[in-house]
Amino acid sequence: MKEYGSQGIVPFLIAFGVFLQGCGLVFDAVELVHPLAPHELSSICSKGQVRVGISVEPFRPFVFPAVYTDEGVRVTGLDVELIREVADALTTYCGGQKPIVPTLHLTRFHDLFIEMNEGNLDIFVSSNGGNIPGARPVSLWYSIPYFHNDGIGAIIQKPEVAERVRAEFQKQTGNPDTLAAIQAGLSGLTVAAQKGRTSSLYAEANLLNVRLLICDSLPASVETKDPHIDVILSHHSILDYVTKHVWPDWHLLTRNDGTPLILTQESFSIVTVDENRRLQWFLNNLLYRLEESGRLEQMRRRWLEEDYAPTRRATTEGLPFEISKVPEQYDQGQCRFATGR
Amino acid sequence: MKSRTFLFISLNLVFFLTCPNIGWTQAPREEIENTAQHLATLLNVGRLIVQRNQALINDPRIGNKGFTPEVFEHEVVDEFIRQTTIDLKHLSSHLPSLAKELLPVLLESSMEVVADAQLVINQRGIGYKNFIPATFGSQAARKFSNRSYVKIKQTALNPRNLKNMPDAYEENLLKRLATKLPVDASFTEWIDNETTLRSVTPIYYSQDCLVCHGNPKGILDISGYPREGAKEGDLAGAISIQIPVNKR
Repeated sequence: MKEYGSQGIVPFLIAFGVFLQGCGLVFDAVELVHPLAPHELSSICSKGQVRVGISVEPFRPFVFPAVYTDEGVRVTGLDVELIREVADALTTYCGGQKPIVPTLHLTRFHDLFIEMNEGNLDIFVSSNGGNIPGARPVSLWYSIPYFHNDGIGAIIQKPEVAERVRAEFQKQTGNPDTLAAIQAGLSGLTVAAQKGRTSSLYAEANLLNVRLLICDSLPASVETKDPHIDVILSHHSILDYVTKHVWPDWHLLTRNDGTPLILTQESFSIVTVDENRRLQWFLNNLLYRLEESGRLEQMRRRWLEEDYAPTRRATTEGLPFEISKVPEQYDQGQCRFATGR
Repeated sequence: MKSRTFLFISLNLVFFLTCPNIGWTQAPREEIENTAQHLATLLNVGRLIVQRNQALINDPRIGNKGFTPEVFEHEVVDEFIRQTTIDLKHLSSHLPSLAKELLPVLLESSMEVVADAQLVINQRGIGYKNFIPATFGSQAARKFSNRSYVKIKQTALNPRNLKNMPDAYEENLLKRLATKLPVDASFTEWIDNETTLRSVTPIYYSQDCLVCHGNPKGILDISGYPREGAKEGDLAGAISIQIPVNKR
């Protein structure tokens, strides 16, 4: 530096600055050959944990309400069992030296998307389907389904509602048109759906002649007395479970032959951000293997068909979660009429 | 004067060294036994307070139940005074120093359990939450044991939680207690060459417990476990405490 003197340093800095302009390209090229930043899977391996979002609103049997057990506060359900599978597979991927711990963040359903976009989650699993129009935000990626052939169903309390819908089906001959029968059968009735969930997207798009109530959660739909709710829409598998085990006063809306009336089909996926390409392939490959081996079917039967006590399962196989991430006082919320219809 | 003082000290030394059952060793033994008794009572009082508030905790219509750690503490302190005349907020100087050291730790551990359970307790729309005397007791005992050299455990002959299985000592005692009428006392014994105190305080089923533990036997209760078919006054289990002398 001494040789340049104080005057010689200026041309040196100018020349250095000119070369710097191309540095970004050089860095990009190097990163293509040898990534400088660790990818999402190696980051999970090095941290020893996978951050998983799960809905605090109970969607039995996918997510049961948190209960207290001998081991502390635990959450359980089909989604939680799937999270265990993902964590086990990640443990194997990361070399099996130390287990990858699933760190559960229980938060409100609509906050899962925000948390994911802000980089606070690696994945979220929350009985969430990406094949319903409007359900899939641009920046998020949905895996191949872990739960197939579900759909949006309906529950009612008064038999007259079922008779109205069935009468509409009876008017049709040949090819029954479910949407037309539903639109006519439910016309003028008060229908509740859950905020941000696919049931509300379906109702807003297809049920224009109903009085639509948007509720913060499924329990809020059931609890609301004023206005009186005639029909509640939600995932069929969830409605099937809750009418049998939680709210026996409500009944599945069925077709004339007694089979459940499904308004549209839906499959549930694991969600991550669009850039996590390696994690996406990891999840799809895992889910395909679980499907092939019959493990997903076994999980499905275990939670939907077997007779069991969720509290006992929470004790033996439930997962802890970060209490600090949960809304301070979980309140199932309330219902309000949809606006702008 | 000097020779008199020397003689006095020497006689005292001889007295203490030749009579090991008096003085230095006997006082700690009593202290440890009393402390074990107080700890068992305190854990039991915590269970009782949870049981008294069970209807509130399980009320699905209310969100914030107000059953905070501070409310729990207040009720525990009152009940503990009633049962033992000991004020946990102002521990008397007459109380053994070991008890003065450990009772606040158990109270704090118990309050932490209630604090941890706030999310579950304050869920609206959810009835049964499994925050019951047994789950409270398991966690409070575990938290306390993790932060002291004293081990407290809830146990039973056929516990629902396998982590509460009795060891050989506890099993033997529980089998004997199961065939006898209820007793309002703890069983204490010094084992391992008198280096460890074992104290077992039996717990008996009250009417409130029978909703889950009564008849019909074998039918699943609300938490999914088969009912035991118990009757009021039957042995439910015990609070087992181990205090080693030499780890103080």
